[in-house]
Amino acid sequence: MSETPTPRSSAETPVRQELTADERRERFEREVLPHLDRLYSAAMRYTRDPTDAEDLVQETVAKAFRSFHQYRPGTNLRAWLYRILHTTYISMYRKAQRRPQETLKDELEDWSLYDEVAGTGGRSAEREVLEALTDDEVKQALADLPETFRLAVYLADVEGFAYKEIAEIMDTPVGTVMSRLHRGRKALQKALSTYAYQRGLLAVDPDRPAGR
Amino acid sequence: MSVEPTGATPTGDAPSADCGENCVEALERLEAYLDGELPQTRVADLADHLRACYPCADRVSFEEQLRNLVRRGCVDHAPTDLVDRVRARLQTELPHLQEQAPLG
Repeated sequence: MSETPTPRSSAETPVRQELTADERRERFEREVLPHLDRLYSAAMRYTRDPTDAEDLVQETVAKAFRSFHQYRPGTNLRAWLYRILHTTYISMYRKAQRRPQETLKDELEDWSLYDEVAGTGGRSAEREVLEALTDDEVKQALADLPETFRLAVYLADVEGFAYKEIAEIMDTPVGTVMSRLHRGRKALQKALSTYAYQRGLLAVDPDRPAGR
Repeated sequence: MSVEPTGATPTGDAPSADCGENCVEALERLEAYLDGELPQTRVADLADHLRACYPCADRVSFEEQLRNLVRRGCVDHAPTDLVDRVRARLQTELPHLQEQAPLG
């Protein structure tokens, strides 16, 4: 049943130009529409708004359809789609407005949720804290991260893309991806720890003044 | 500038406190390891260390659990009619495609 793509004589052959427009649309729908749910999830993390997320998905799929002839079968379709999603998002929502360089505080470097939990409650508390956190809290914690960190963490931890793929999707060097992931994850953990503290799952306020 | 202890607890939760150089090294590589990005040549060493060192192994399992939490927590389902709207949108794109076809 598995659909093994027929090997092409040359990977460089531009794709599917021999198909009629209708055949091409059918093919596109068959290959791309199964990704729609995931694309919508991604679009929600990008835009943080259901209406904007729908618009972004529609626009992304339309753009992918128009450039489907550039997609080479056998290469990573998901990475190709997410690259389009990313550029579409930038052009729809970031326009010409240049935002200042986003940063996250360095002070989290020596901090981790693991130490925080292990320090306050012992081993059994670790599992308990993680199990108690809700999906909404996770979504909110991610949504509150600065954009470039949010997207890197999402693409790695939820979508499972490799560093190199994220670098291509976000059009940024691999080293930048790694640093955004590192800091973004720390900040995400910090936000989650705040939720945990508010619910009485952590004894010590993670937002206590640094050093004490 | 001296590194201050976290001061949160007297139990010494800084990993380097109860482990040695190996742990420091392991922790530096943990993120890449969990990301599946650690060079193959280093994976075996780290795996050896994790088998021998409970604190590091416990940390890894916590981090894995945390990642699962994030992965599961960040799922949304597209509205059921989105696929229909997308299909309709593709139909409107067809004429443009025929213009640029066949050898764009």
